[in-house]
Amino acid sequence: MSSLATMLSTETGPETEPLLSARDLTKVFHTGGQDFRAVDGVSLDVKPGKVLGIVGESGSGKSTVARMVMRLIEPSSGQIMFEGENLTAKSGEALRQTRRHMQIVFQNPHSALNPRDTIGSAIAEPFLVQTRIRGAELERRVEALLDIISLPKAFKYRYPHELSGGQKQRVCIARAVALEPRLLVLDEPTSALDVSVQAQILMFLQDLRVRLNLTYLFISHNLAVVRHLCDDVIVMSKGRIVESGSTDAVFKSPREAYTRQLIDSVPRIPRLCI
Amino acid sequence: MTALLNIDNYRLDIPTFDGVLKVLDGIDIALEQGDTLGIVGESGCGKTVLARSIMGIGPRNARRVSGHIVFDSTALDELSEADWRRVRGVKISMIFQDPMTYLNPLLTIGQQLFDVITAHYRAQGKPAPAKTDRLARCVRLLEQVQIADTQRVLKSYPHQLSGGMRQRILIAMALAGEPKLLIADEPTTALDVTIQAEILKLLRDLVDRLGLTVVMISHDVGAIAALSRRVAVMYAGTVVEQGTAKSILTRPRHPYTRGLLAALPDIEGDAQPLEAIPGTIPNLINPPSGCRFHPRCPRATAICRQEKPETRSVGADHVVACHHAFD
Repeated sequence: MSSLATMLSTETGPETEPLLSARDLTKVFHTGGQDFRAVDGVSLDVKPGKVLGIVGESGSGKSTVARMVMRLIEPSSGQIMFEGENLTAKSGEALRQTRRHMQIVFQNPHSALNPRDTIGSAIAEPFLVQTRIRGAELERRVEALLDIISLPKAFKYRYPHELSGGQKQRVCIARAVALEPRLLVLDEPTSALDVSVQAQILMFLQDLRVRLNLTYLFISHNLAVVRHLCDDVIVMSKGRIVESGSTDAVFKSPREAYTRQLIDSVPRIPRLCI
Repeated sequence: MTALLNIDNYRLDIPTFDGVLKVLDGIDIALEQGDTLGIVGESGCGKTVLARSIMGIGPRNARRVSGHIVFDSTALDELSEADWRRVRGVKISMIFQDPMTYLNPLLTIGQQLFDVITAHYRAQGKPAPAKTDRLARCVRLLEQVQIADTQRVLKSYPHQLSGGMRQRILIAMALAGEPKLLIADEPTTALDVTIQAEILKLLRDLVDRLGLTVVMISHDVGAIAALSRRVAVMYAGTVVEQGTAKSILTRPRHPYTRGLLAALPDIEGDAQPLEAIPGTIPNLINPPSGCRFHPRCPRATAICRQEKPETRSVGADHVVACHHAFD
C-alpha cells in the first residue's frame, strides 16, 4: 500500500504545483472587546497526492486553519489558492462550483449526520446539491459509495442511530468523496472512535487515497496517528507554525524545543515481543 | 498479605427497556496495598461501571447477580448508604475524566476544598478543627498536588484555571479524606498530551510518596503503561487478561489484547502496518455465547462458541481467559 503511494508521489515529482496553498492566513476573533489571534500568519502547501498533517494541542488553531481553507470561516487576512485559483476572491456560484472539489470530514460522526435522514439520503445529498443526477442513476451512485465504504447496500434504509461510530464515520467519508473531490480535509476524523475502530478508519483512508487519487489535509492532536498517516507535518502552537517538514524528519530530529516536548510527552508503550 | 481490594466473580445486570444488559460477567481482580492497576478497554467494555461499583456510585438500577467487592476486609456491596459515608472519600476516592463537570462554577476553589474537608469530619461524626486549621489543610492539599501559588488558586473560580490545574484540584479534593484507594476514571483523556504527562507524573509521585493504591481506568494504553504496575484488559464485561504491565504489553496472550496493541499507531514510526480488529463490540443484551470475543477472534473454534473460557495462569502474575491463548 505504502509502496503504491510512493509510486504516485514520484510520478507527480517534487516541483509540481501545490493543490492547495495558503499564504499568511490570519484569523482574529473579537471576544469581549478583546482581539484574539486564533491563527497568526500561517502559510502551507498541500502537494497533490500527499498527506499533510497539522498537529497541535487544543487552542493551537489547527481546526481554524482547516475551516479557513474550506472557507467555512472567513480569514481575517491572507490568501488561499486552490488548483492555481484564488479561493479567497471567490464567492457565490463560483465558490459553490469549487466546493465540490474540496470536502471536509469532521471529528464527531454522531453529530455530523441528520438523525432523521436515512443513510441513503445522507449519501445522496451531495448529488442533489451539486449535480443533476437523480432517480435510478442516483440510487446506483449511492450503492456504489456504500460498496466503497464496505457497508451492505441495505444500509441505505437505516438511520444513523442504528450504526456504530466507525460505520457513521465511514458514511461521512462516503458523503465527502461522493463528488470525487481532489482534496479531503480531515478534522480529527478518528478522535471520537475507539482504538480498534480508529485502526479500521486509518487503513480505510490510506486505501481510499490511492484508489481515488485523493490529497489529504489531516488535522489531529494525536501524534502517533499523524506519524502513521502523513507525508509532511506542520506543528502548530498558539496560532503559529512552530515547525514543519517531512514527518520522518520532524519526528526523528525535531529542531524546536516545543516539538520535542510534545513528542516526549506521549507515553511510550513497551515494545511487543511476539 | 491479603489484598486491599478483592473483586470475586462479580456479575452485574442493568435492566433497560430493551432487555437486561449483562454489563459485568464474572470479574476477578485482586490488588495489594500500594499497588497500581490499570484497567484498559474500549467503550462499552464495562470498565467505568466496574470503577463506579467499587466506589458505590454505580447505576442505581444495577442488580448484583453474584460475587463481592471486598475492600479492606469489608464487603462493599452490602454496605448501607449510611455506612458508605464512612468509606466514600475517606477510604476510597475517585477522580473523573472532565474535572470541570465536578467543580461548582459558582464557588471558589478555596470554598469547595474547605467544604470537602469539613464534610469529611461531619461524615465521620468528629468535631471539625478550627477554621484556620482547616484553611491550612487546604493549602497543604494544594501543595501535595504540586500547585505553587496556592493563595491565588484558592481565590480562583474553576473557569479561571486550566484543565490540568482543575484536575490537580480534583486530585487534592480526592486526597482530603486521606484515602487508601484512589480510582482514576480516564483522568487524562480530556487533557492535552503535555498536561497529560504532568498529571501522570503527579499520580506516580503520589503513589510513591503516600503509598496510595490506584486503580486507573483508561482506553489509552499509553497512559495506562505510564502509571500502572499491573494491567487488566477488559472486553465486553469480562477481564480477558490480567498481570504485570510488562508481561501483558510485551507478551500478550489473549487475541483481543494482541489486536488492541496491533491497532495502535506507533509514534516511533518504524513499526509494522496497523491491524484492525474486524467487527464491532457486541450488544450486551444478547452477548455472544461462550467467549464474548469469539465473533471477532481470528483464533475462534467451535469450543469458543460453546464454553466460556476459564481464567488460567500462564506465568508469574499473568492470567488469561482464552481457549486458544498464545504461548
